[in-house]
Amino acid sequence: MGFIRRQWMPKEADEWTREDTIAVVLSPIVYILLMLGTALSMFLMWQGFVILAAGVILMLVMIWIINPKLSSISEGYEKKQKGYIEELERKVKWEE
Amino acid sequence: MVHFAFLDWFWLVTFVVLMIGSGALFYRLGKRSEADFFLAGRGLPWWLPASSVYATHTATDTPMWVAGVVYKYGLAGMWYGFFAAWCAVSAFVSTKIFRRSLAYSQAEWQTLRYGGMPAELLRGWVAGWQVFLNMFILGWVGIAMGKVCHFLFGWPPWIGLTFFSTLCAVYVLAAGYWGVVMADFQQGIIAFIAIVFVSLWGVHAAGGPHMIIDKLHAMGLSSMLNPFSFTGFAGGDFPVAWFITMLVIGILGGLGMATAIDWFPEAQRIQSARTVKDASWCIWAGQALVVTRNALWAAAILGFFVLYPGLTQVKDYEMAWFRLGFETLPVGMIGFFFAAIVAIHLSTISTHLNLGAVYLTRDLYHHYINPGADERKLVWVGRVGTLILLLGSFVFGSIMENITEWLIFALWIMAAGVWLPGILQVVWWRFNGWGYLAAWVFNLVFSWLVVWVLPAFGVLPHLKDYQQFWLLMLLGALVFIPVTLFTKAESMDKLVKFYVMSRPIGWWAPVRREAERRGLL
Repeated sequence: MGFIRRQWMPKEADEWTREDTIAVVLSPIVYILLMLGTALSMFLMWQGFVILAAGVILMLVMIWIINPKLSSISEGYEKKQKGYIEELERKVKWEE
Repeated sequence: MVHFAFLDWFWLVTFVVLMIGSGALFYRLGKRSEADFFLAGRGLPWWLPASSVYATHTATDTPMWVAGVVYKYGLAGMWYGFFAAWCAVSAFVSTKIFRRSLAYSQAEWQTLRYGGMPAELLRGWVAGWQVFLNMFILGWVGIAMGKVCHFLFGWPPWIGLTFFSTLCAVYVLAAGYWGVVMADFQQGIIAFIAIVFVSLWGVHAAGGPHMIIDKLHAMGLSSMLNPFSFTGFAGGDFPVAWFITMLVIGILGGLGMATAIDWFPEAQRIQSARTVKDASWCIWAGQALVVTRNALWAAAILGFFVLYPGLTQVKDYEMAWFRLGFETLPVGMIGFFFAAIVAIHLSTISTHLNLGAVYLTRDLYHHYINPGADERKLVWVGRVGTLILLLGSFVFGSIMENITEWLIFALWIMAAGVWLPGILQVVWWRFNGWGYLAAWVFNLVFSWLVVWVLPAFGVLPHLKDYQQFWLLMLLGALVFIPVTLFTKAESMDKLVKFYVMSRPIGWWAPVRREAERRGLL
């Protein structure tokens, strides 16, 4: 298994792991780079294009890391969703 | 005053018909059930609620405040909009947790996380507060449209306030959230194209990128191009301490729920996504577009700055982006620009009409007044709720000039003293309903004291907004932490059910052990 894991069972994906930490750290950095890169690129400043490109690359890396885990979480959860919704409706009607 | 040519009218009428028609087309889907009227049946792919996140947070007043801070502070002013960073973290933390709870609203979530009387008190309070707040936002954004129409056509402000919100109510009443999200998709595209086009055009009209840079150098204002140009660590009106506070509020706030005012509309979009993954990406992508949009605006505002330097009155420069569009675009494109402004406006109005109705219908009517109501009745109550919000917004909009200061103060209630509890309720199993309730109540008292009363009596100096934030957070913690620890923890049954369903992160070890002991994990 490499540093980044890309095959998940739903139960394992529910746990907080290194992949989540990396995504949470990269994500605001990507926002900052996209914002600064776009603004400076509008003035045709070379720094702006470099920052914007870095933002896009990091965004793709982040998606590559976290998307398989999110898919697995979703797959596991959707199987239980119908039962949870029925429970929620009982609660709003004070039946539970 | 602006005069429309035939082509301008063509753009405007075509877009308005498309926007309203596309929403109303979903009438049949919206009326099927409460879940359809408020969450589009929980079946949307990520890009639809993402476009709604983006469109909702692009309002008529948004380019005004972006212009206000960028004209004053240059590119560093963009950081004012960076509180949106909470979505960067939330997408992979609290968004997942909230989506798994399946709660229609943040008020409903209170009764899933907490139990007993505090949970019901919290649900009622959050629902009531959100009905009021959505009405207020509708009035706020509505009167901004009134100002724009007054600036453009010389209409009295009440016409802009009432006419476009009423148009919007047509498809929100008919199709509920289906109408909102489908119209938002189209409005988001129109608005983004217009923002890119007008901003590029504005930069061109100011002489082009190099000319703007040269002029700023010649004025001795090169620092306006520096996004990190602050007025010292704690001194001046734009210090590093403010910047750090804003980053902390934004980034750590993403760990919790209801830590930003934008959480509430986002919560609805999260639940309308078809899977947990779609919910995460809709929030992430929607706000990524928002921060990129701010950057496009900022560049255009600097173009406006070199064209019209030295403006000292906020009312003169807050219209910068609108003036760039209406004063520099060629004939025939003015109508396109105005249609985009209408799109920007309708997308925000529609969201808050439907969102306020969620709290009125699901949390107040369905839960407390008529728990046995059938789906048909709930949809009708949703429509009546939408109408009440529309009418209330007209009242708020018409008195907005007089109450703005008081209402901005009211927004502090949301931001400061309940920011940390908003995180703790997600990451700490021992935090309970009494603690969260105490945080709300005492924040009301403390914010009143810190912002108004104590400075008026000279007991406390007038603090800057970021200083108020830290003080209110500390004072609140001195109350809600003891209240939490001196009252009983939520029942283990309640916590285990919540944990197994939502899988929160943080300090949940005792609950996890119990869930494992029961064979639920």
